[in-house]
Amino acid sequence: MSDTQQQNTARLDEEEARRQLLELAEEFYDQFEAGDIPEMTLPTRTKSNIVFDEEAGVWVYGDRTSTRSANSVRGARKLLKAVYAVEFLAQQLDEDRSSTLRELYYLSESWDSEEAQFTSQDESNQLIEDLEIVSGVTREDFHMRPEESGAKVMGPLLLREQTRRGDREIHCQDDVGQGGYQIPNNPDTIEFLDNDAEFVLCVETGGMRDRLVENGFDADRDAIVVHLGGQPARATRRLTKRLHDELDLPVVVFCDGDPWSYRIFGSVAYGSIKSAHLSEYLATPEARYVGIRPQDIVDYDLPTDPLSDSDVNALESELEDPRFKSEFWTEQIELQLDIDKKAEQQALASQGLDFVTDTYLPERLGEMGVL
Amino acid sequence: MTSFQSTLGEEEGIADELAASQREISIAEFFEKNKHMLGFDSGARGLVTAVKEAVDNALDACEEAGIPPDIYVEIREAGDYYRLVVEDNGPGITREQLPKVFGKLLYGSRFHAREQSRGQQGIGISAAVLYSQLTSGKPAKITSRPKGESQAQYFELIIDTDSNEPEIKADEPTSWDRSHGTRIEVEMEANMRARAQLHDYIKHTAVVNPHARLELREPGTEEPLKFERGTDQLPAETSEIRPHPHGVELGTLIKMLESTESYSVSGFLQEEFTRVGKKTADKVLDAFRDRYFGREMAWATPDSLDAEAVVTAAVSGKGSDATETFAGRVAEALDSAGRLAHHELVRLVADAAETAQESTGKTFGDTVRANTVDAVWTGMTAARVDAAGRRVDADDDAEADDAESVLRAPLVALVDDATSSQKDDAVVTGLAERLAADVAGLDDSRHRLTRARLDRLVDDAADRMVEFDEVTFGDTARENVADALWTRMATVPDDVPNVSEVAGDRDTASSLLEAMRGTDILAPPTDCLAPITAELVEAGLRKEYDADFYAAATRDAEVHGGDPFIVEAGIAYGGDLPAEGQVDLLRFANRVPLVYQRGACATTDVVKSIGWRNYGLDQPGGSGMPNGPAVIMVHVASTNVPFTSESKDALANIPAIEDEIELAIREAARELKSYLNKRRSMQKRREKQDVLGRILPEMADKVSAVCGRDRPDIDGALARIMNNVSVEREYDEGAVRLVVENHSDRTEELDVTDIVSVEPADVPDDAEVVDLDGEWFVKWTPSVSGGDEAVLEYRVSDSDDAEFDVNVDGVETEKLTVNA
Repeated sequence: MSDTQQQNTARLDEEEARRQLLELAEEFYDQFEAGDIPEMTLPTRTKSNIVFDEEAGVWVYGDRTSTRSANSVRGARKLLKAVYAVEFLAQQLDEDRSSTLRELYYLSESWDSEEAQFTSQDESNQLIEDLEIVSGVTREDFHMRPEESGAKVMGPLLLREQTRRGDREIHCQDDVGQGGYQIPNNPDTIEFLDNDAEFVLCVETGGMRDRLVENGFDADRDAIVVHLGGQPARATRRLTKRLHDELDLPVVVFCDGDPWSYRIFGSVAYGSIKSAHLSEYLATPEARYVGIRPQDIVDYDLPTDPLSDSDVNALESELEDPRFKSEFWTEQIELQLDIDKKAEQQALASQGLDFVTDTYLPERLGEMGVL
Repeated sequence: MTSFQSTLGEEEGIADELAASQREISIAEFFEKNKHMLGFDSGARGLVTAVKEAVDNALDACEEAGIPPDIYVEIREAGDYYRLVVEDNGPGITREQLPKVFGKLLYGSRFHAREQSRGQQGIGISAAVLYSQLTSGKPAKITSRPKGESQAQYFELIIDTDSNEPEIKADEPTSWDRSHGTRIEVEMEANMRARAQLHDYIKHTAVVNPHARLELREPGTEEPLKFERGTDQLPAETSEIRPHPHGVELGTLIKMLESTESYSVSGFLQEEFTRVGKKTADKVLDAFRDRYFGREMAWATPDSLDAEAVVTAAVSGKGSDATETFAGRVAEALDSAGRLAHHELVRLVADAAETAQESTGKTFGDTVRANTVDAVWTGMTAARVDAAGRRVDADDDAEADDAESVLRAPLVALVDDATSSQKDDAVVTGLAERLAADVAGLDDSRHRLTRARLDRLVDDAADRMVEFDEVTFGDTARENVADALWTRMATVPDDVPNVSEVAGDRDTASSLLEAMRGTDILAPPTDCLAPITAELVEAGLRKEYDADFYAAATRDAEVHGGDPFIVEAGIAYGGDLPAEGQVDLLRFANRVPLVYQRGACATTDVVKSIGWRNYGLDQPGGSGMPNGPAVIMVHVASTNVPFTSESKDALANIPAIEDEIELAIREAARELKSYLNKRRSMQKRREKQDVLGRILPEMADKVSAVCGRDRPDIDGALARIMNNVSVEREYDEGAVRLVVENHSDRTEELDVTDIVSVEPADVPDDAEVVDLDGEWFVKWTPSVSGGDEAVLEYRVSDSDDAEFDVNVDGVETEKLTVNA
């Protein structure tokens, strides 16, 4: 793909995004004209309304929908805000600018209608998600980005990124510092040029990522180490998916051994409930879980903490979660409930700083057939 | 104590000494000491009470004469005193009666009448006269002109406080501009500190007497307070009723018995009481017999009784054929009879004797009959039977040991039925056996017992069983057994004592009273009462209170102590009523406002006990007086309103009356609740309309800006959102179209009036055109079901200058969107 082509595609996407957004406004207009009550129909965004898409191997929204209608004061306020947000986003696309979700929240303060102003950032975030769903355009294409940018990548990978100061070619080991390569908000502006990687290793905590980099794991094992940083940003998940799909690299996820970390894995592999409309775009169903497994706590006799009540609730809720209805997870979660213990990634240090790179990961990855 | 007694002993004649200071107290002296009981405890209150008494009398007099009352009250300062004048347009009072009416306490027409009226004791107005005379020393000046008289008569009166007789100071004819009526003028020590109560009294009187016109002039105000008539309808005339059997006391009953002209109790009851005819009198008499004579136990004929043999043995000297016939008759009759009491057996035997006499020609006289009755009764009640129920002769020693009383089996069955299933067989048979023995041992072999004796009998048997068998047998079980026995017993046919015998014996009279009270008797007739009626309660409230909502309820008549009463309640809410603080409670008794002692009144207690939050009124703490812009009124009408004191300020706490007050208030309150609910939902709807009315236009503006198109028409969407009814006009070169769209889920009936400045043409049949001075009213009343629309089309001749103004009724404004 040449530079100009890339530019054109992006431009076209912007045009398309703008058109799709305006279509929504047109729809409201037509509803008004017909004497109908303006409304907007969305899939119900709850755990009970996500279904497994066999073809794509990801979890997507089911067929249950909820309607936001101007019938009620609440619904009317939401729709009014939606129209104001559409206008703002259309204008932003027109001017080829971008803003953050938080900026949108504050920006609403300047709108002439008090009713249209957001009362909390959750509200504006949710509205953007609603707009993504009804327009079929991702928020990255609206030029909306989260406040905190995507996480970092370290590994034998050469890529080209379109930046405001032109395209840059970057090697994710040689051209970056200890911190690694910063994933941009819209990873679709990246083009992969070359790589020597064997697999992608997503790591939950910053501490563990630094440990792996310090121990030279990425170089020794030809691993692309992606730092998730808690619940991964959409950019991180999108990049991971592209690394898997475009470079055909196996993806493994390395987290703490507690229910919250399983959810992090879940959102990488299966998609999250909030963004199930983007599962096909964000989720990497082939991703596999390295650890820490409850089994590891037993096998490696790791230092542990007892499960709290909320941990137990979360585990039990995961047993009900359709995304975790696999033999592996049922077994592991039940084992964890049984031993009533959880362990952090750093617990591996109890057997020495090199234990994770020299013993644990090679053993686990060997078992999984990655190494 | 001892010292006092020794003094008593030492000094002879102390009783004489005491007697010297014992003398009659005149009613006036009594009044002077007990002014507060009559509502004259202070100058402020005395004035209000005097006004009240005079106005009550005036209203009563007018109503009795069927004259719509027109009452004038004037209070004026007169030196150190206040002068009170009350004038009415009533029928007037005759020259002979007048001095007594105003100048004698406890003189009146009402005290002895069971009929609803304001005054009851004949104290009120004469007490006011007495109070003025005691405080100012001046006589009462009374003018009265009876209807049809050519002149009025003027009196000056004082009350002789020793004799309680009027003393006439002046008595002369005078001229008066009223054609009939009465005027009273008194001067008294008073002050206007109770002005609020005075106004309350007058205003509340106007509320419950919408047929009356009232005017009050008082010092310190320029204009008189005037309360105009709200209706020409006078209260229904009341008629006097005789006492109700449930409502007399023993003393009254004895007095009535002594003075009646009836000979028999039955006649007395039918003559002197309301709601008692022959049937009811018979019911009362049966109840009286039960109490006076007691009932007789009835027994079934046992299998062990060989009636023919027993009767044959008891008859002698009548020849075997005749005896056989008689015995056969008796046995036959016994067979077909159910349980028999002694007196029933006597009648049965007598009947058999009569028929046997007819067919055989032999006479079966009293002796034979008595012997027969004895023999059969003994067989029925005193025989002993073995386990199989066969009769055992007393001299048959071999079997006598196991023999039981013939009464045992039926009593076991009865006790078993009457007690709970938890009692085991030993207890049941234990009690039944003891009862059988006790009954058999009664002095009166007829087994005749009063209820009290029966209870004692059961108690004794149960006590012995508890003591010897060490089992428990509680009060309820005893009562159940006694009840079961009592229902099985038969009322005796004995003749009841006559009136003079009953009157002569206190216990007998008491039994009669109990019988009267224990018999179900129709509630007294209510034509002695004149309720205001729900309609006029509401009219009265409407007249005096500017509120948004009114409700009223009138209950059916109930009885308390033989006096019928009716409770009415009304509620006014919202409007100009003050929203702050407690609701206003208006209390009335026989159309008289009660202005003092609110806290002591049963009405207040009832209002406080109701959970007003249920009915949409604020009630701090969930009990007590509710808060809010409301007036609650309660009217109790009765032939005898139970007050807590003679000053008639507060209703006594009588449960029967309190219950009715509560039901009446709740009935009215339910209407209030649905009104408030509706109002609340309307308010929500209005709020929603307000917010949406702001949001949707903004949304439409923004949408049109974003799309770059003209602003869309959002009225249709708005109407639909509000479940509204929209009325829209389309106009095209003289063609007028009015479109009614009903977006609600129920049918709406509309009154649409289109006011057009030019003459309309081609108006369809379902619309009507009225020409009013160059304006044409096109009236159209479509019925539009939910989700439907209706269209009115017509033409106007001159399309250029036509002006339209549409007016839509029949739909609440909150639900209506007019765009025409």
